[in-house]
Amino acid sequence: MDKVLQFERRTKPVDPGGPGPGDDGDGGPARPKVERPDTRDLMRRMRRVDPNQARRYRQRTGE
Amino acid sequence: MTRLFGIETEYGITIDGADRVDVVEESMQLIRCYQQGAFVPLWDYRLENPRRDERGFEVKNLLNDADEKVHLQQDRKRKIPFKELKSDLIIYNGSRFYNDHTHPEYSTGECISLFELVAQDKAGERIVDICAQRRTEVLDQGAVRMYKNNTDFEGHSYGCHENYLMDRSVPFERILKGLLLFFPTRQIFCGAGKVGVEREDRAPIYQLSQRAEFFEVIASVDTMHKRPVVNTRDEPHADAEQYRRLHVIVGDANMSEYMTALKVGSTALVIDLIEADCLPDYRLKDPIAAMKNIARDQSHAWLVEVEGPGSRLVPAVEIQDAFLALARREFAGRDQETDWVLSAWEDVLGKLSRDPMDLVGVCDWVTKKWLIDSFCEAENLAWDNPDDLFWMQSQDLEYSNVDRDAGLYYLMESQGQMVRLVGDDEVAAAMSEPPSGTRAYFRGRSLEKFGDYVSSINWDRIVFKRNGRQHAVDMKLLVDAGRVQRYNEVLDSSETLDSFLEALEKV
Repeated sequence: MDKVLQFERRTKPVDPGGPGPGDDGDGGPARPKVERPDTRDLMRRMRRVDPNQARRYRQRTGE
Repeated sequence: MTRLFGIETEYGITIDGADRVDVVEESMQLIRCYQQGAFVPLWDYRLENPRRDERGFEVKNLLNDADEKVHLQQDRKRKIPFKELKSDLIIYNGSRFYNDHTHPEYSTGECISLFELVAQDKAGERIVDICAQRRTEVLDQGAVRMYKNNTDFEGHSYGCHENYLMDRSVPFERILKGLLLFFPTRQIFCGAGKVGVEREDRAPIYQLSQRAEFFEVIASVDTMHKRPVVNTRDEPHADAEQYRRLHVIVGDANMSEYMTALKVGSTALVIDLIEADCLPDYRLKDPIAAMKNIARDQSHAWLVEVEGPGSRLVPAVEIQDAFLALARREFAGRDQETDWVLSAWEDVLGKLSRDPMDLVGVCDWVTKKWLIDSFCEAENLAWDNPDDLFWMQSQDLEYSNVDRDAGLYYLMESQGQMVRLVGDDEVAAAMSEPPSGTRAYFRGRSLEKFGDYVSSINWDRIVFKRNGRQHAVDMKLLVDAGRVQRYNEVLDSSETLDSFLEALEKV
């Protein structure tokens, strides 16, 4: 298995006993706080998507 | 959380500009891009039997659709040995990466922490993306694109399965009762969204779910044709006397970290309720119809017909609220992640009741719908124009593109518009670090330390070869925290394979 590629190793594990992600410090959950995005970049990127990408995208049945 | 779980994701694959892609060859080659050297087949297929049904029988054959039967006939003409075709790799983070039915599949190692699972699932995306970049360089043809979705919009679906270890003694009828109520209704938050309908009327509408329309029966062992709401495959990968592995095939692949966590977390709590025989007092009249109708409901009322005196229509949100209330009553305060799930579940159900569009950046189906609605308005696209619909489906596809420089989900994330649960550093670590506190650590670290001696491996067994003799380490019992800790400590403290195997005998 020494031939298996090693990606860069970081050693910061997720702490299961630590505060929850997005925790506000009071033990509460992460509340979604998302402003409606500025659409200009998004629309510019979406215009570049090939209109026929889905038409060509053919897969085989999986599980 | 309190039980083991994991996620297996089959990815879609294509090459930019190519009219036809040999997905058999490309899926195999993509997996191989993970390696630096020659492929050494280690996965032990003798320990698998997907035809065994947990209701106590075994089917002779698994079902395939008409298209796949033709493909399989053509595949037999290929001269690629089975193990070469599958290209099974086991990664040091304890995951399995292989070619499953022409889809590169990444199966996370066993996790007991929800947020570690999210990091491991995202690590799979990164690994798939890196392999795609390498394959692109080798091919010198067009960019290899990998999609974390569940359909080609033309009737070919592929899965994102969840696995949960649960108590074998729970009667199957009780499992059915709970899951036939929960699964059709949970898509209101964890559906990934889809442009169009692929079967029957092929209506040009937006659906909540990629997978909902592909389910045709209540329960069976099949996964590729006539798919069941409750899959009965009996491969516990643990002590079969004590445990069953609930193999969930109804879900969509989520790009949203929040939805991956809520999907798995809420399902784990519902399994807790099933084990405790504490379930909401509803029964859907037709769970399959409910699943499809909810996905297609443009009003977002999501009414389902329930049985009982005075059969009536009930909002799916009400059913989910009933599960949540019981889970809160039974499990609140049990551990931090359980409390996170309870709060997140309540928050999301509340927003779905008031205005689902408040969940842009949280729910995949809402975020994708917002993107596509905005695009349709900007470009004056019409849902009943077939060319426009293809463009919308192309946007749908690009939402799930795992290339962080190209995918629409990742564009939203780069703008800070998606709620994150794990940091990029945690995802990077998960690409090589196994989740803590489960046998995934034992699997991954055993390979890292003593991989040159491993002759075969599966989820629940590693066989080492030493001095011409085989030494099998059975991991079926490695599911309780105490035993896992002892095994992992032995592994960490052993300098040589000899000392490792000798110490294991004393555990």
